[in-house]
Amino acid sequence: MAMVKSQHTSVIYVTLLFAILLMLVPIPDSMRYARPEWVALTLIYWAMALPQRVSIGVAWFTGLLMDVITGGVLGIHAFAYALVIYLVGRLHLQLRQYPLWQQAITILSLIFLVHFITMFNTPISLSWTHWMTVLTSTLVWPLVYAVLRKIRRGFQVS
Amino acid sequence: MLLAVVASVLLYFLDTRLDYFKPIRVSLSTVVYPVQKLASMPDDLVTWFSDFFQGHQQLREKIMTLEAQNLTNSVRMQKMQALESENMRLRELLGSSFRLQERVQVAELLSVDLDPFYQHVIIDKGKSFGVYEGQPVLDSLGVMGQVAEVSQFSSRVVLLTDPSHSIPVQIVRNGLRAVVTGRGLGETLQMEFLPHNADVRVGDVLVTSGLGGRFPVGYPVGTIISVDFPQGKPFAQIAVDPAARLSTSREVMLVLPGEKIDFGITFPLQIDEEDLPAEEQPVVDDDAITSPEGNN
Repeated sequence: MAMVKSQHTSVIYVTLLFAILLMLVPIPDSMRYARPEWVALTLIYWAMALPQRVSIGVAWFTGLLMDVITGGVLGIHAFAYALVIYLVGRLHLQLRQYPLWQQAITILSLIFLVHFITMFNTPISLSWTHWMTVLTSTLVWPLVYAVLRKIRRGFQVS
Repeated sequence: MLLAVVASVLLYFLDTRLDYFKPIRVSLSTVVYPVQKLASMPDDLVTWFSDFFQGHQQLREKIMTLEAQNLTNSVRMQKMQALESENMRLRELLGSSFRLQERVQVAELLSVDLDPFYQHVIIDKGKSFGVYEGQPVLDSLGVMGQVAEVSQFSSRVVLLTDPSHSIPVQIVRNGLRAVVTGRGLGETLQMEFLPHNADVRVGDVLVTSGLGGRFPVGYPVGTIISVDFPQGKPFAQIAVDPAARLSTSREVMLVLPGEKIDFGITFPLQIDEEDLPAEEQPVVDDDAITSPEGNN
């Protein structure tokens, strides 16, 4: 029984890996700032649906991987993801009850937080285009939500 | 949560302030290389397929243009060789040693997008190919950047456009030295710390000056596209368009370390004009090499 269960939780890691790949796949330069925060969204979904599976530790480690992959300062993504997942963990019961638009507003503020922290150390002057990702992330949230819920139900991850 | 916060802050400070983390970073980078390789696969596949299914006609055209290019290049090379040997001979006469040719190694970019706030790219050669930190990276048109971090099978290259990257340059026309700094994704480069009366014009070509010893002398860096003298600011605002195709090049060249470039040029700058044949004057490298010594 335990064997089967652990097999199913691996689905979570597969989706996380896929999200990381989505963060890396090349897109045109003009769209670079508009790339949704796939990894953060995926983490948020799992932390909301299965808070006992995706803990702060998982989020922190995923963030560390992101730091290494993107070549930023170690610890920035780790901190951002951990903080957001901590908040989601506190809010997950309410979040599940929210209608989609209210969820979207929460997601907007969470992604804003992630983006704010990860940009903390960047050397360039900021303009409004750099915040595009917050908007696009919110826009793709319903999609992420629907797809991941399908996956969760399909594989009966619990 | 507390643990995560403490760990992140600790990591952040250790990583930014101390160098202890380099080995860990390097090994972690080696671990994530497969992920990066995987992410670049769709793009590689597309390239492969488009190569595979290219029409006969297209291939013919491609070969034709390449052959034509090859011909012009080889003609140019003949002239280049003559000029090079002449240059060497003149330098020998002047008692200076200098290497004109560097050897290069070809590497390929992984088509992976990293954080858009850093202008970094990943190349598929690492420590196992002898890549080292600070190694200059070129493409066929000019300087692209330098190697920032080496892991076992891949390395990270900082492009010229990265805001934390600067490169010592020199204007070909008059030998004026300056520093060119990046300004981020999609922006031009900036030529820094030149006073308002500096002799700078739109269209001036910049090459590496070789000062600092990291980049070899005389590789094209870019062209000045706008010069502005803002009132009340101490320095001119000069925008530079990079020569290398930073966003489209797939193959890059790593300059292999040759002999250490020797700047011990001993001759005085005032060379009698009649000693040199008049038609040799426009040789770009000559100017670029001798003038840094003028004011040092």
